[in-house]
Amino acid sequence: MGHESGAYTEKDLLRMIRKWVPRERVPKRVKVKDTADFFRVDYDDVVVLDSVPYFVRNNEREGRFGIDDEQKFWVKRARNLLTGDVKILKWVFRERFEARIGDLVFDCVRSPQKEARILELVSGKPAFMQGKTVLDTAGNQLRILDYIKGKTLGQVAPELGSDHEDYFQNHFPALLKEFVVLVEAIRFLHDHNEKHGDIRRDHIIRDETTGTYRWIDFDFNYRHGESRFGYDLFGLGNVLLFLTGRGDVTTYRLLREDPEAFDRLTDDDVNIVFHNRVNNLKKIYPYIPEKLNRVLMHFAVSAPVYYEETQELLDDLGEAL
Amino acid sequence: MDTQPENPVKDKHLLIAVDESDSSRRAVLYVADFLGGFPGFQISLLSIIPEPEQDFYETEAELKAWVEEKTAKANALLEHYRTILVQSGFPEEKVRFHACVGDAKSLSDAILAIRCDLTCCTVVVGRHHKTKTEEFLFGSTSNRLIHEAKNCAVWVVE
Repeated sequence: MGHESGAYTEKDLLRMIRKWVPRERVPKRVKVKDTADFFRVDYDDVVVLDSVPYFVRNNEREGRFGIDDEQKFWVKRARNLLTGDVKILKWVFRERFEARIGDLVFDCVRSPQKEARILELVSGKPAFMQGKTVLDTAGNQLRILDYIKGKTLGQVAPELGSDHEDYFQNHFPALLKEFVVLVEAIRFLHDHNEKHGDIRRDHIIRDETTGTYRWIDFDFNYRHGESRFGYDLFGLGNVLLFLTGRGDVTTYRLLREDPEAFDRLTDDDVNIVFHNRVNNLKKIYPYIPEKLNRVLMHFAVSAPVYYEETQELLDDLGEAL
Repeated sequence: MDTQPENPVKDKHLLIAVDESDSSRRAVLYVADFLGGFPGFQISLLSIIPEPEQDFYETEAELKAWVEEKTAKANALLEHYRTILVQSGFPEEKVRFHACVGDAKSLSDAILAIRCDLTCCTVVVGRHHKTKTEEFLFGSTSNRLIHEAKNCAVWVVE
């Protein structure tokens, strides 16, 4: 299948590259590559998508996309040579696998069509990454995402405040309000029968240009049981726990740093899934309000009932604000 | 004029929702043991194949093949359970079965919708012995049935 090169000559492309890229980074030659196979697209190549030339830079790594700092060969940073904007190009990479939490095993899939669908659904909504979907030359859905410059929520929260009390009194209230906005965004997905699929603190980025937090990475899906959104809610609980604790408060950490607090804990105080994480944070930090702690305890071993709908979580958070 | 109704006593209609699990088998055996041979009962066996999301399949054909395979398996299972119930004393014409792809929000919603359509007075399910983590992450159909069912009884068989 022939690849799209548009009307651009190599001379045109080099002129455009020079406009956006420091001189020392401008290659001597530039090749326009077919978009059908991401393995053939390398650093310094150009791909043309929807008549727009993109100058390809590095593959993305986790922290932003994917897992454990591995290179994602199908996710490449690129510069739109018409506007100079940095974009993330995400090729189709289908993956079906079993996720494991303790003894529990469940089917998961990486689905480009799911991400394409959600990108369309959340277009213009500031709590989500933005982008559009085009077809590569093989007819697959390639997503062109706006690059979000900023830190993940997982990086932001632990850096705030001099200690937990300072953090909790002076920074956490604003973060909690931001978190509520993020939960409302997930409710929007759920209201449209869509899951996020991979909710975790690394999938929320504070956009430096706007100061708002945005959800990223919508291509995961899990095979749900009776509760369609239970796994998403579990993810939201983990993020809230992390924010409230200014990081993960683990039994191991407490044992080393605060053995007295550790002695106050019972088996009921830990996370229902991760038994080394403490959910009953009020026992560690007594100034945490009861209403907020009660929300955290919905995700603890001792919880008699669980959240099934995002709205239930939002209602309780509303009382805790 | 002497008019006798043809069916003076209406059958009690039970809906047994099953899947391939042992707990479903226990539910069927319980009903067979408890009510088999008694008159006045009608049974509908139901197997709902959870609607698969298109995201898990690359093509429509792949999805269709999956549904066909699951439907065939469900029908074979239902036929087997029907035989058990008939052998326990239910008249053949009083035991029917139905397999379908559930397009409702959840399995419990689908079961309750069908119960309503068939006007069954009782829903019978087996209790899956899920871990707390599993129930937390993916929910429990029997728990939800107990909470959501209206105008009917729910039997959850251990």
